[in-house]
Amino acid sequence: MIDINQLSHHFTLGKKGDQTSLSVLENISFHVRAGEIVTIVGRSGSGKSTLLNLISGFIRPTQGEIIIQNQKVSEFDESEFAEFRLQHMGFIFQNFQLIPSMTAYQNIELPLILKGISEQARKKMTLDMLKKVRLEDFSGHYPSELSGGQQQRVSIARALVLEPPLILADEPTGSLDSETEEDLLRFIQELNKEMGITFLIITHDDEVARIGDRTITLADGKMVESVVFS
Amino acid sequence: MKLKDQFRFILQNMKKNKIRVFMTVLATAMGCAFLIVLASVAFGLHDSILRDTLENRTINEVEVYGGEEGQGITDQDIAKFEELEGVRAVTRQKSVQQEAIYSVDDFQAYAPTVAAHFPSEIASGAELAEGRLPEAADEVVVGHHFIPLLTPTEGNPDELYNEDGLIKEELQFDENVIGQIFTMEIAKTDGDQETTEEFDVKIVGVMKAPGREWEWDQHVYITDDLLDELETFTGTPGAALMDPSTFEDVSAEEVPYDQVTVIASDLESVKNVSEQLEDQNYMSYSIVNEMEQMNTLFTIAKAGLIFIGTIAILIASIGIYNTMTMAVTERAPDIGIMKAIGASPKVIKRIFILESSYIGLIGAAIGIAAAYVISILVNFGLPLILEAAFDEEMPAGLQFSSIPPLLIVIAVVICLLVTILSGLRPAKRATEIDVLKAMRREI
Ligand SMILES: Nc1ncnc2c1ncn2[C@@H]1O[C@H](COP(=O)(O)OP(=O)(O)OP(=O)(O)O)[C@@H](O)[C@H]1O
Ligand SMILES: [Mg+2]
Repeated sequence: MIDINQLSHHFTLGKKGDQTSLSVLENISFHVRAGEIVTIVGRSGSGKSTLLNLISGFIRPTQGEIIIQNQKVSEFDESEFAEFRLQHMGFIFQNFQLIPSMTAYQNIELPLILKGISEQARKKMTLDMLKKVRLEDFSGHYPSELSGGQQQRVSIARALVLEPPLILADEPTGSLDSETEEDLLRFIQELNKEMGITFLIITHDDEVARIGDRTITLADGKMVESVVFS
Repeated sequence: MKLKDQFRFILQNMKKNKIRVFMTVLATAMGCAFLIVLASVAFGLHDSILRDTLENRTINEVEVYGGEEGQGITDQDIAKFEELEGVRAVTRQKSVQQEAIYSVDDFQAYAPTVAAHFPSEIASGAELAEGRLPEAADEVVVGHHFIPLLTPTEGNPDELYNEDGLIKEELQFDENVIGQIFTMEIAKTDGDQETTEEFDVKIVGVMKAPGREWEWDQHVYITDDLLDELETFTGTPGAALMDPSTFEDVSAEEVPYDQVTVIASDLESVKNVSEQLEDQNYMSYSIVNEMEQMNTLFTIAKAGLIFIGTIAILIASIGIYNTMTMAVTERAPDIGIMKAIGASPKVIKRIFILESSYIGLIGAAIGIAAAYVISILVNFGLPLILEAAFDEEMPAGLQFSSIPPLLIVIAVVICLLVTILSGLRPAKRATEIDVLKAMRREI
C-alpha cells in the first residue's frame, strides 16, 4: 500500500540571506501493507506530523520517494496530488477540520461534490454515511452545534464517504474523552476488518497504539523501532 | 466538480455577504449603464442622420455630372456607362428649357417637361401606375401629380386649393386621362418677338407616385423625337427660349443630357461603380461617398465613448477586486480544508473566477436594463427640454440615444472581460493557500 524509501526532510527557516536548515526526518524507510493498521508514535517534535504531511502531499520531501498504490506520489504536481487524495485517501484530523458554515450533511457531502457525483447518488451515500456514524438526527447541525465526539464522527464520515483504501489520521483521539475514544477505536477496527481499509495513525496514546498491527517509533526524525504485534 | 455544484457553491458564498456583493454588483451595473448610455448617443445620432440621408436620396444611384473638363454626357458616354460592372440601368434625361403650358377642355397646367429614355427609366425601377409607355413620337407619360395639379381655367383662383396644396377634389380633372389629347404650348423668340406654337400630345401612361410622401412628380415625360421637333421649332438646344441665331444648327449638333444617373445593381456595387467612373475621369456623386466619411467619423466617436465608458467599468472592477480578495481571505480556512480533502487548485481557481464573472454578469444585466430606461427617458425628455429652452421644434424622428444589439454585446464583453481580469489575481491567491497554514488558522 505505502512504500517509503530513504525519506528525508528539512525545513528552511529564517529570511533570505540568513537561512538555517532544520532537519526533521532522516532516511526513513518503511512499508505498509494493504489492510494493516499502522500507528506512529514518538515524542513531541520527533517529526510524526511532518511524516504524515509528506505522505498526504501537503508538503514535499527534500529527498527520497513515497510510493502509494504503486504510484510515485512524491513526483506528483499539486493538481495530481489533489486528485489522488480525493480518489485514494481519507483524512481524520485532531481538530476535525470541518467547514463551519456547512452542516454535518454538507460537510460529509463535500468530497462527493468535488468528485462530481450526481445529486441523487450523493444524497443516498451521504445519508448512509450519516447512519453509519449514528448521526442521522444531526444532519442539519452546524459543527458549532455538535459535541467534539460528534464532530469527529462527521469528519470520519467525510473521510469514508468515498470509500478510500487508505485513511491517514493525526492524533484522532487528541480532543476526545476516554469513552468517546473507545468508541472511535472500535469503529476504526470495524472498518479495518469489514472494509479492509488501511490506517496510518499518529498517536501519543498507548490505548490507540494497541489497536495497531504494527507501531513505528520516531525519535529526532529517525526511525528507531518498528514493533510488530501479534 | 460539476458546474452546477460550483454555481451552487458560489451562491452560498455570496449569500454570506449580501451587502458587500450587492454594492459590488451596483458599482458594476453603474459602470455598464454609463458605458451604454454614453455610447448610445453616438449610435442614436448616427442612426438619425443616416436615416435622414437615406430618405433624401436613393442610395444606389450615382449621378454623373460630366467629364473632367465639364463636357456634357452624350450617347457615346452612356454606352460606356452601360458596359460598366455592377450597373443596372443608366437613366438620362434632357429637360425642355422652358415651362410648357398644357391644356385640355377647361383645364390648364404649367409643367416641367423632360425627354426621357423610357426603357432605362423602367429598368431603374420607375413604374407606371396605369397605361403604357409611349410608342409614337407624340405620346407622353405624365407624373403622378400632373392630374391633381391641372387647374380649372374658370373659378376663383383663391378657392381652388385644399390644405395639401392640391386642387380640391371636386374641382379636379375627373375624366380618364389615358388617351386624352392635350395641347402643349411652346414659345420661341427671335430676339425681340415671341411667338407660340401648339403641339398635340397624347397621354398614354401615368407614373406611380414617388416613393416618398413629400416628393411631387408633376413632370410630363416626352419622347426624344418630340424634343427634336420642339428644338427644330425654337431653333435652340433643349427648346430654350433664346435667340436661335446664337446657336449653330441644332439638329446637327449633339445636345448633352441634363441629368444622367447610373443605377447600381445593389448597394455593394455603388462604390465600385463610383470608382470606375472616377477612373474614367467622370465627375460623379453618390451618397455613399458622403456616408463613408460620416461613418468613419461616427465610428471614431463611438469607439471614443465606449473607451470612456470602459474606464467607468474599470473603476468598478477595483470594487470587484476588493470583494474577491476579501472573500478569499475570509474563506482561506475553508479553502485549505477543501484542498486537503482533494479539491484541485484548478477547481478552486474556477470557483473564484466564476464568482467574479457572475458578479460582472449580474452587474451587466442590471446595467443594461437601467441603460434602456435612461435611453427611453432621454429620447422622450431631451427634445421637450430643448424645445422649451430654445423655443424651436426638433426635427421629427431625431433620436438622441439608440441601443443596438451590438452595443449590448460590446458592453457585456467588456464587463465580463474586466470582471474576470479583476477576479484573476484573487483566484490565483486562493489556489496558493497553504493547506497546513490554513488548517492551523494561520491565514
Ligand atoms: N512548517 C514548519 N517550518 C519549520 N519547522 C517546522 C515546520 N513544521 C514542523 N517543524 C518542526 O519540525 C519538527 C517536527 O515537527 P512535527 O510537527 O512533525 O512533530 P510531531 O512529532 O508531530 O510533534 P507533536 O507530537 O507535538 O505533534 C519540530 O521541531 C517542528 O518545530
Ligand atoms: Mg504532530
